[in-house]
Amino acid sequence: MNAVVARLTLRQLLGRRRVLLLLLLGGLMVLVAFIYLLNTTGGGQVADARARIFTSRLLQNFGLAVLMPLVALLMGTATLGAEIEDGTVVYLLAKPVSRRTIVLTKLAIAIVGAVLLTSVPIFLAGLIAARGLADGLVPAFALAAVIGSAIYCAMFLAFSLVTSRALIFGLLYVLVWEALLAGLFAGTRTLSVRQQTLAFADALSDAPRSVLNAQLDLTTAVVVGGILLIGATILAVRRLQHFEISGETG
Amino acid sequence: MTAESRPAAISVEHVARWYGNVVAINDVSFTLSGGVTGLLGPNGAGKSTLLHMLSGFLRPSTGSVAIEGTATWANPDIYRRIGLVPERESAYTFLSGREFVIASARLQKLPEPEAAAARAIGLVEMESAQDRPIGTYSKGMQQRARVAAALVHDPPILLLDEPFNGMDPRQRLHMMELLRRMGSEGRTILFSSHILEEVGRLAEQVLVIVAGRLAASGDFREIRRLMTDRPHTFTVRSSNDRALAAVLVGQPTIAGVSLDDGLLTVRSNDFGAFSRMVSGLARLAGVSLHELLPTDESLESVFSYLVRR
Repeated sequence: MNAVVARLTLRQLLGRRRVLLLLLLGGLMVLVAFIYLLNTTGGGQVADARARIFTSRLLQNFGLAVLMPLVALLMGTATLGAEIEDGTVVYLLAKPVSRRTIVLTKLAIAIVGAVLLTSVPIFLAGLIAARGLADGLVPAFALAAVIGSAIYCAMFLAFSLVTSRALIFGLLYVLVWEALLAGLFAGTRTLSVRQQTLAFADALSDAPRSVLNAQLDLTTAVVVGGILLIGATILAVRRLQHFEISGETG
Repeated sequence: MTAESRPAAISVEHVARWYGNVVAINDVSFTLSGGVTGLLGPNGAGKSTLLHMLSGFLRPSTGSVAIEGTATWANPDIYRRIGLVPERESAYTFLSGREFVIASARLQKLPEPEAAAARAIGLVEMESAQDRPIGTYSKGMQQRARVAAALVHDPPILLLDEPFNGMDPRQRLHMMELLRRMGSEGRTILFSSHILEEVGRLAEQVLVIVAGRLAASGDFREIRRLMTDRPHTFTVRSSNDRALAAVLVGQPTIAGVSLDDGLLTVRSNDFGAFSRMVSGLARLAGVSLHELLPTDESLESVFSYLVRR
């Protein structure tokens, strides 16, 4: 980790309007949970079971399927991609700092940012909708989102070093691979970060498997998620070590 | 290590760089040690490509590029020895000038980053604006902040890509004075420019690059002489082109005269002498001059002439 790189990255990310939009998106999920809470009446086991199912659906379909990939996409691609795009990356790279340190620092900041904007709203929304921790279901989702955010951020950061259209490729991965193909073909789910995250949530919670309906077993999720996280990080380091300024202006 | 055995500050040997089928740099070799050198060439000639290779941001397709004997490509350690001012007008606009230079000092792992930043800011005379965000700076001020950041670790080698872009005349003069002083202190300074006058005022040595090739290198005055002594072409309109052509043909500075489709074209080996004598000769021949136009005087054509030599 390099403190100067970390501070610069943090100021760059926080200064962007998109962070505000992501905060609003997380806030929207909390608002949905709050509206559900206001519309539920009574108590007892049936109401608790209903609340648990609603919470699981909300956190899966909004938290893990929309908020987590979107936040990680914007954080992961912006942390280094934005500097490459506007040319400021030269000031960072023209210093005696190893490229591996730069990538690892930027990745760490992207992950911290993504976790704050994802896991915190997931935890709050879950807490409100389930009216408690729901036998560990809510913290399980929040913790799983930490791991999922880390894998996504590493992938999207690597995307930004491979292509100048990282945002488009990231969206295609989330919308086509994860949302479309993973629903149609069981084999494609293995490479879905969302499915891996769900498997982590399932393993971390005491809720019955039917509540989360995870499609991957934990071992597969750990192995494939680990390969994606480490592989993407190594790829990003290698790409930055061989980074070339393209284009001839004079 | 003796001075003789010490590697050159900058060493480029048979370097080529191509993008697909496009050759950006073609078999360029030179060495530089100490003083200010201008890298002169028209836009698109390959100056930035060469500077990118020197600063380790582009891998040569063939040949070698070294700073003090160390290959530049994929080697971040060279940045202890060089300061780089890129051409692209980019900056961390959310930082103040001082924060930007201090961040550079910290990334260089200097023991007293604040003091080093204050010294570098003083060199470019930016004290009064140092606490304002870079986003509020003029182009010239942004450029000075970039130069301060490049100088903060007191590097022996400075690479600058079109450093005077966006500067007003006073800032330009000051920057030239600063670079001249740093060059006289023994630093190796290489700056690119497409403006002959800029290079002439600052550089002792010049590298002329045209279409990816090193067209000329050496003392600036010698190169300048080659550029001015080349044949110049003029088109002339007068009251009697035929009579004027007849008196011009015998003159020693005239390399050729042609009269095609009513257009008188004259080629001269000496721009100055021809310009001075043509009106006198016309008067002697009883001809009125209407128009005398030098043709093909663009910098590109001057450079092309050097390549053809």
